[in-house]
Amino acid sequence: MAALPRRIIKETQRLMQEPVPGISAVPSETNARYFHVIVTGPEDSPFEGGLFKLELFLPEDYPMSAPKVRFITKIYHPNIDRLGRICLDILKDKWSPALQIRTVLLSIQALLSAPNPDDPLANDVAELWKVNEGEAIRNAKEWTRRYAMDN
Amino acid sequence: MEQFESLLTCCVCLDRYRNPKLLPCQHSFCMEPCMDGLVDYVRRQVKCPECRAEHRIPYQGVQGFPTNVTLQRFLELHAQIAGELPDPTAGQVMERCNVCSEKSYCAPCAHCDKKVCEDCKSAHMEVLHREISRINNQIRRGVNRLQDILGIVERNTTNLQTNCAAVAGEIDEIHKRLSKALKDRTDFLRNEVDRYLATELRNLTHLKDNLELELSNIQSNCDLADKYMTDDVEWEDTELVDTKEIFLKTVEFLRNFDYEAGDYNRRMRFIMTHDPNQLVLHVASYGELNITHPSTYGGNMQQTPGLTRSKSDHRLATQFRQQEEAKGYTENDEPILGGRKFGERRPPPPEKPTRDYGTTDDYSGYESEHRPSRRFRSRFVRSHQQDNDSDTEPTSRTSKAEQVQKEKEKVTDTEDATKGPLSGIFRLSDCPRVMQRILDVDSGKKKEKKEAPPPPKPVQPTPQPRRPPPPAQRQQSEDDEISRLKRQNKGAASSQEPDRAPARPAEEERTSVNRKPPTPAREASSDGESDESVGSLQRTQRKNTAPAPKPVSTARRPSGSEAATPHRPAARAPSTESSASTESSGSAVKHTGAILTIEELKAKYSNHGLPPKHGIPFFSTGNDRTAPVTTNGTAGGAQRVQSRFVGSQRPAPAPAPAEPAHEDSDTSSEEETDSSEESEEEPATQRKPESQAMTRTDIGPLLARSTNARNDAVDSKTKETPSQSRYRSRQSSQTEEESTPRYGSSGSSYNNRYGSKPKEELETQSSLDDDTKYPTARSRYLALKERRNRLARSKSSHTGFGAGDDDDQDDPVSPTTASPSAYLAARYGSGTGGTELSRSRSSHALKSRESSPERPAAGEKDGAALSSWARYLKNKYGSRGKDRDTSGTTSSTSRRLSLGLPLRSANELASSDDDSKNAAGSPISPTAATAAVAGFAAAGSSPRSQYLQKRRLQFSVGSRGSEPGCFTWPRGIAVGPDNTMVVADSSNHRVQVFDSNGIFVKEFGQYGSGEGEFDCLAGVAVNRIGQYIIADRYNHRIQVFDPAGRFLRAFGSQGTGDGKFNYPWGITTDALGFIYVCDKENHRVQVFQSDGTFVGKFGSFGSKLGQLEHPHYIAVSSTNRVLVSDSNNHRIQVFDVNGRVLSSFGEEGSEDGQFKFPRGVAVDDQGYIVVADSGNNRIQIFHPDGTFLRAFGSWGSGDGEFKGLEGIAVMSGGNIIVCDRENHRVQVF
Repeated sequence: MAALPRRIIKETQRLMQEPVPGISAVPSETNARYFHVIVTGPEDSPFEGGLFKLELFLPEDYPMSAPKVRFITKIYHPNIDRLGRICLDILKDKWSPALQIRTVLLSIQALLSAPNPDDPLANDVAELWKVNEGEAIRNAKEWTRRYAMDN
Repeated sequence: MEQFESLLTCCVCLDRYRNPKLLPCQHSFCMEPCMDGLVDYVRRQVKCPECRAEHRIPYQGVQGFPTNVTLQRFLELHAQIAGELPDPTAGQVMERCNVCSEKSYCAPCAHCDKKVCEDCKSAHMEVLHREISRINNQIRRGVNRLQDILGIVERNTTNLQTNCAAVAGEIDEIHKRLSKALKDRTDFLRNEVDRYLATELRNLTHLKDNLELELSNIQSNCDLADKYMTDDVEWEDTELVDTKEIFLKTVEFLRNFDYEAGDYNRRMRFIMTHDPNQLVLHVASYGELNITHPSTYGGNMQQTPGLTRSKSDHRLATQFRQQEEAKGYTENDEPILGGRKFGERRPPPPEKPTRDYGTTDDYSGYESEHRPSRRFRSRFVRSHQQDNDSDTEPTSRTSKAEQVQKEKEKVTDTEDATKGPLSGIFRLSDCPRVMQRILDVDSGKKKEKKEAPPPPKPVQPTPQPRRPPPPAQRQQSEDDEISRLKRQNKGAASSQEPDRAPARPAEEERTSVNRKPPTPAREASSDGESDESVGSLQRTQRKNTAPAPKPVSTARRPSGSEAATPHRPAARAPSTESSASTESSGSAVKHTGAILTIEELKAKYSNHGLPPKHGIPFFSTGNDRTAPVTTNGTAGGAQRVQSRFVGSQRPAPAPAPAEPAHEDSDTSSEEETDSSEESEEEPATQRKPESQAMTRTDIGPLLARSTNARNDAVDSKTKETPSQSRYRSRQSSQTEEESTPRYGSSGSSYNNRYGSKPKEELETQSSLDDDTKYPTARSRYLALKERRNRLARSKSSHTGFGAGDDDDQDDPVSPTTASPSAYLAARYGSGTGGTELSRSRSSHALKSRESSPERPAAGEKDGAALSSWARYLKNKYGSRGKDRDTSGTTSSTSRRLSLGLPLRSANELASSDDDSKNAAGSPISPTAATAAVAGFAAAGSSPRSQYLQKRRLQFSVGSRGSEPGCFTWPRGIAVGPDNTMVVADSSNHRVQVFDSNGIFVKEFGQYGSGEGEFDCLAGVAVNRIGQYIIADRYNHRIQVFDPAGRFLRAFGSQGTGDGKFNYPWGITTDALGFIYVCDKENHRVQVFQSDGTFVGKFGSFGSKLGQLEHPHYIAVSSTNRVLVSDSNNHRIQVFDVNGRVLSSFGEEGSEDGQFKFPRGVAVDDQGYIVVADSGNNRIQIFHPDGTFLRAFGSWGSGDGEFKGLEGIAVMSGGNIIVCDRENHRVQVF
């Protein structure tokens, strides 16, 4: 395995030295490209109070290609499917090398605050969100309470 | 400031901008690798990471974007303010890494000699670190060898000192005795002369006085008569009558008085008993110092086993050695690391060789070589030592000039201070660079990283291969032994050349330490009669000194050359057949001059618990004439031999215990004698039963004949033969007592000789008349002779000093005539009688060497021209008869004569020699083999009955699994030392070792294709020195492991050529260490030397005789018949070692003696063949001739049932072990 690029080292150092509030990303002991991430649910969102675990992997050609991010904690969100996959443009075609791990995670946190049911990944959730937002938000709160707290 | 910093940071690499390029959107990025990585080559555009704006790439690529000069200024400014060091990669151009082909900033790597990127370089450094630590471990493991050697050297130093001191004392003593004897004798003679003179003078004076008186009386009488006997005076008649009477008497007196001439003519003459010239000569050269140089190996340092090395190291070392040897030794003084300083970069590869160096012939080979080769190095040496010619050259390239400059600078601070004189390895910590590095480490660890040159490691691999040469030769591997033997033989032949030795003192020292001198052992063994004459004495010695010295002789054994062998059987022939058989197989081994020592062979056999009466099948060559004798008559005698044999072998690996006797005087010359002595011990044992047999009533007819013949011969020479007396005495325990006084109180013999003799003479002298002088001498001689007889005269080595009586020629050692070293050796020891005797015997060997030195040389010449394999074969079959016939008997006769030994017994030996020759002459002829087999079958029913009883499982080992003691598809199996079971646990990719009771001992190996890793190994074999040889099936190679399971080497790869394999399966080794491999998919058997050198192959695809189809397993009998399980032809084929097919048995079927896909095949030490009849799920046992004996087993998973058989082996106790593949177990019957 080739040595770790300087950029990853720098990013990791910075993440440890200046952590983003509400986000923690710790590289795996065995693989410096794999990060254990915990994102807090943003305030004033149905996910408030939840701690959401994610995994983040930096592919070989990072930063030229986007990191792979996935929710591990179950979450009721129109843009996140049952497997935890995230529908987020900057993780796909809108990726830019100027983005970093922290910006990606901040974007994800923002996505929690602002679900976008018009570009859904979990269709049933998105449907409910559009038809009956109140119930959807209740569901989301329920899921958050059930899966993202007390653990 | 932080913001300022972030403005100077490229958002892609998060590093300071390097060569920032400005996009039309006004965002800047480093040109490489950031901008480079952004390029969409398909659409030829670049998308700005910041604003996602897309821009067409200029024609010349991203370079075409304008450089952000402002930003660059800022960068410079910032660097100035912050005091940062300039970017080390600034100004560098990215290149493709030569290893990973990634674009990066590349730097030359000393490891691969290429320009590589950081990553690859650090990976290389990693590799180097690992290698260094691995090699370092090897060195650590091996360094104790050096320590051992150091210890030995120290011990030898003290030994040498004591030896020399003792020799000096010896000389002083001799001198004292000689001068005392001389002085005594002189004084005595002088006294004699004086006394004689006095007596004679007295007598003469007395006579003179008398005569004078007489004369005066007569005168006066005459005068008186003239004067007065006239008429003037009246004389009475009576007076006249008386006067007349007186006068008459006077006349008579005068007439008769005749002086005895002797009385007036007395003289003394001094007569020497010897020619004075001769005597002076003898005295002047009364002793020599024989300094034994135990080694002259033509500059080879191949001796003891050294570091166990991995294959690559081994190869490297060999290559290196070859190179060295090709070039000769003068160049060996070249500095290590090819003349570079430690840590110095290698000079860059010459880009324009023709320009710089092409003009000089010396460098012609330069450009073609990648590594700094010899030539390359020598160039450097030259440039160091001479006027640095490359400096004077107009060099256009500055780097080169720099290089040279650096070189020059460094020459002054030398690293050679602590350079190892033997290997040229210097102490790393003495190198300025290393010191600096260590200093750095100590002072501050961070500094280290910044330094440009690689850490000191890269250099190490280079010295490492160079270092091994000395140990390399010492490796225990058999291949080295082979070559060592070759050298040894050569060395022995040339050991007489004195000038060879001084050339290489270092080597010599080492060899004298580690090695037993080849010559004496060889001489001793080549010397039938010397064995014989002293054999009896050996017996007593043997009892005393226990079997321990044996292993030592093991080490030395190999020095017995092929030339030696014809005699061995001769010497032994009269002894019991069983011993002869073992011995002659041993001698066959020695023919090759190859690896196997008798010792080991015997150890092997003895391990097999060979019952004495089963000796013959070993021999297998079918001497059915003698066979009955063995079984009937000499059973008792044979038994004795055998048991002693076995007993003595057992403790083999303990060399030390018996040594103390010799220890104090353990010099090289001592060792020489020791070695010969020990190597002759076996003959001694052989002899013993013979002498015993003479006293026995149940003596075998042949034995009796030979012994009687010998006795007659001996008796016919009663008077002359010293050995005869020894023969006599050997039957009494007196030998020891006799011998002890000989040296222990040798002073008395001296006294007798020099001290008491004159006394004796004085006595006789005084009682005898003057004329008894000569008689006295004679009586002295007689007395001397008598005394010597009493002292078992033949042994006195000092008699040579005495009067040169005729008997002296009988004395085995006479310092003045025979080799002085023999004298020293014989004289020297202070040990027990046994060793004394053997020493004096060694003088025989030395003497006889002198008498026929050309023989071994000729033999050697013969052998050297042939490859070892050819030689092996030739010696085994070709030269045996010839050798025997010609040089064997004649030289033995001549030597016999030279030793004054009875010729008749020599003839006798020769004739019995013929017997054994007949027996051994056609070991491969099937008829002979069958005859032997038949003879055996008739005689020894024991193994047969043993096999007939086989049916019940004794125990089974293992079940399915991967834990220790479990198997997954066990395949090959072999019996290792101490009856261990070695199992190829194929699908667990490991070898497991169990003791004879099935208790797990150890395992080694794992899945993989690296060293010591397996991929579904199949065959396994253990050679005589306990190395494991594994057929690594899917890796298509053979691996060799040391007895501890450590990887030694591997050879072979997939293919159909020589030395290549296609799924090698069964494997075995023969007594000589040759490796036989069933190359299954190539349908052939390949033979290798133990070092992996391809020797030969036989078999091809087909079903005809001699052809093979999927040969699976292979076994070699003790009679060198090669049995191959020709699986798809459903038969077992028997080959000789040449690959000629001898016979084949079995066909497809399920009847007795038929096979279905036979796999494992094994042969016990009596030649019985055991076949794992896999398709029939049974084990079949055959007579040595291939006729069916018995079968047992069936399909199933119960006890004694099989599901697919693989390897099979026979343990020394007769237990059959077989791998029951699908049941994942090993069953023991």
